[in-house]
Amino acid sequence: MKALTGNLLGDGEAVFLGHDGQWAAKFADAELFEDDDAALAAEAHAKTQITVVVDPYLIDVIPSEHGFAPLSYRERVRALGPTNKPEHGKKTEGGEAIDALLHAHGAARSKGRVELIRRK
Amino acid sequence: MYQYDAIDKEMLADRVAEFREQCQRRLFGELTEDQFKRLRLMNGLYLQLHAYMLRIAIPYGALNSQQLRKLAFIVDTYDKGYGHFTTRTNLQLHWIKLKDAPDILDHLAEVGMHAIQTSGNDIRNITADPHAGATADEVDDPRIWAEAIRQWSTFHPEFSFLPRKFKIAVTASPADRAATKVYDIGLRLHRNDAGELGFEVLVGGGLGRTPYLGPAIRQHLPARHLLSYLQAILRVYNRHGRRDNIWKARIKVLVASLGAEGFAREVEAEWESSNKAQVDLPDLELARIRAAFTPRNFETLPATSAAFEAAKANPAFARFARHNVKPHKIPGYGIIDVSLKKPGETPGDCSGEQMVLLADLAERYSQDEIRVHYEQNLILPHVKLDDVPAIWKALGALDLDTPNRGLVTDIIACPGLDYCTLANARAIPIAQQIALKFADPALAEKVGELGIKISGCINACGHHHVGAIGILGVDKKGEEFYQVTLGGSAEAEASLGQVLGPALPANKVADAVDTLVEVYLRERNDGERFLDTFRRTGLAPFKEAVYASAH
Amino acid sequence: MPALIRWTGQRAEAAEDPFTSVVDEEPIPRGDVIVSLQRFHNEGQRLLAEGRRVGVRIEANEAVEDIAADLPRISVVALVFPKFLTGQAYSSARILRERYGYEGEVRAVGDVLREQARFMVRCGIDTFTPIDGSTPDAWSHVVGRFRHVYQRAADGQAPAFVERQA
Repeated sequence: MKALTGNLLGDGEAVFLGHDGQWAAKFADAELFEDDDAALAAEAHAKTQITVVVDPYLIDVIPSEHGFAPLSYRERVRALGPTNKPEHGKKTEGGEAIDALLHAHGAARSKGRVELIRRK
Repeated sequence: MYQYDAIDKEMLADRVAEFREQCQRRLFGELTEDQFKRLRLMNGLYLQLHAYMLRIAIPYGALNSQQLRKLAFIVDTYDKGYGHFTTRTNLQLHWIKLKDAPDILDHLAEVGMHAIQTSGNDIRNITADPHAGATADEVDDPRIWAEAIRQWSTFHPEFSFLPRKFKIAVTASPADRAATKVYDIGLRLHRNDAGELGFEVLVGGGLGRTPYLGPAIRQHLPARHLLSYLQAILRVYNRHGRRDNIWKARIKVLVASLGAEGFAREVEAEWESSNKAQVDLPDLELARIRAAFTPRNFETLPATSAAFEAAKANPAFARFARHNVKPHKIPGYGIIDVSLKKPGETPGDCSGEQMVLLADLAERYSQDEIRVHYEQNLILPHVKLDDVPAIWKALGALDLDTPNRGLVTDIIACPGLDYCTLANARAIPIAQQIALKFADPALAEKVGELGIKISGCINACGHHHVGAIGILGVDKKGEEFYQVTLGGSAEAEASLGQVLGPALPANKVADAVDTLVEVYLRERNDGERFLDTFRRTGLAPFKEAVYASAH
Repeated sequence: MPALIRWTGQRAEAAEDPFTSVVDEEPIPRGDVIVSLQRFHNEGQRLLAEGRRVGVRIEANEAVEDIAADLPRISVVALVFPKFLTGQAYSSARILRERYGYEGEVRAVGDVLREQARFMVRCGIDTFTPIDGSTPDAWSHVVGRFRHVYQRAADGQAPAFVERQA
């Protein structure tokens, strides 16, 4: 399962492609792609939106208690915010989706980000 | 301090106008991200995990109260009320919007500040001894030369597209508070036997994936030839530095491949072929810069201050005086270390409120000067010992009075995976956990001088290679693990740390540090710091203790 | 061919380009040509003897010292930017102008973008083949962004410390 993420051009916020094709601030609102073709198509389209989002890439998502979480530890930090200042991140929004992120087990390199680094 | 004249100010204004236009072109899609990224990096603007990060230049770590108040205004208005002082004495803001960046640069320009070349493959901020102008053990004020280099390197048309970033550090004291051995160029001012001022030139030091201590390629470079010689070094690097592999692109790799002597020959040949007079500064300009750093009104005071001594009746103040007040070259004065390392806080962070207080203290008590130390603390360089008790009390109101300079809780930590796209692991929580274990100031004092340095990735912004205890975050199958090294130092007798053993998971690191300190306290001879004991015993007792219980 | 822009010393203007840039595998057409360094070593004498104007293309990792002796007879030195951030050409340009006093045309080819106009002009490059569709006016604008310079380069502009003495 995958989700599409990037940073908004204007303010740099970490965002996720939502169900309605808009960019959402919360991972809870992220569209989850079971189908790889759909995921790649969404990524290709997002890359054309150069005035909206910077360097979009796909991330791996795994089931967690209460919901889903990014597989990669880095992506969890992006979804939650910095752990040293929880009041500055998205953790304050609370809820089940945040619980899913906080309590996700295991982690691994997200292939999408590895590809991004390799391209650079 | 150097004051920007009309020309310097117009430089900043032109730069902001240029960047504002480039931002507009990017926002409207006329520039791709690849094209724009290089341009925004040359203005210190990164895109990080959560937002843009702006790295504001603090040339050779020097600030005045007006500048610090402006920084407070900026962090309160455009960021989340704080900034982070870095190991290159710059200030990072972690929550910036691209569309605000040109306005922020405008504000900075009003007080002679900028974010020029704080990122990118160009010549970065010049760092120098943070005790410059206040210490008795310098042969000259290194800031004069750092300012000369700053101007020469700014918008340098030949050296703005180097193979990689380029960092220069300057010291004028044998004590080397600028870590000159671990930068691309380290410049060590001295006088030769004839009493002439000159530089020992070190090239090819660096931390990161392949750490090196920079070898000297020239023992004595006459000071007046500094810039022409730098041009020769930079040109050799620009032409011959590797560009095929980002991990092999620093000058240290070129120096290692040619050998120090081979590299020196290339530089000397280039230097001799060049027209030095076109590059070196005329005496008049050097004198103009020098005049800006001439010390001002020091009073004639007795060497000992009755008020300072009397205040030591308070044990807390006495402890502060022991660790955070250093000798000044003028009798009756002292240098104060302001710790940004209160245990449990994020190392190097400073709130807008704290900045305003420090600006007031600098203006009132420190000849309107405040400095940034590369170990992420601040310095009030010209304080009368008589005033230290009042300053200490004021610092205490905002948690700036931690008496831990150089001690186990004076930890260097990069922002790490909490903020940085390059990181493998978090550094800040590790620093916080370790510091809290030694939060009791009496315990920290008992442990004594111990530099713990934490990097979230191999880029080593936390200087882990030169920590007496170095901690490096590594990615082991996506989990946070940490490799511990011992015995590093950036002092005059510099050394790189040795790996202790297999990487430890996050939840074992603070305990491991506890164990290392226990071993040290057990093994140490009188007067030995942690580093000294390690240099005597080697890894064995430390390794055995940490890995005793099989994981 | 991409449009050629020339810096006159005061401003940028569109320029005619009589040169044909020839890759090594191609036969050399009639008229003025720019060839690779290797080809110039092999065929340069013959081409010059035929009365053409000849230019040499220097790749990022090639040394302008290799043509130093021939510079009086070379009409244009084309410095290649394989990517705009590959910066050896800036050093090559300054060496041509300041060490060898080269007065022919120094041309930037490859990944040439208007945002680098000022760096190029200051280093002594005087013609450009931009790939971003930028106009001479855009180049004039970028070159003219800064009123002062801190250091001497190949363009002869007086650095700040000279201005200060005035």
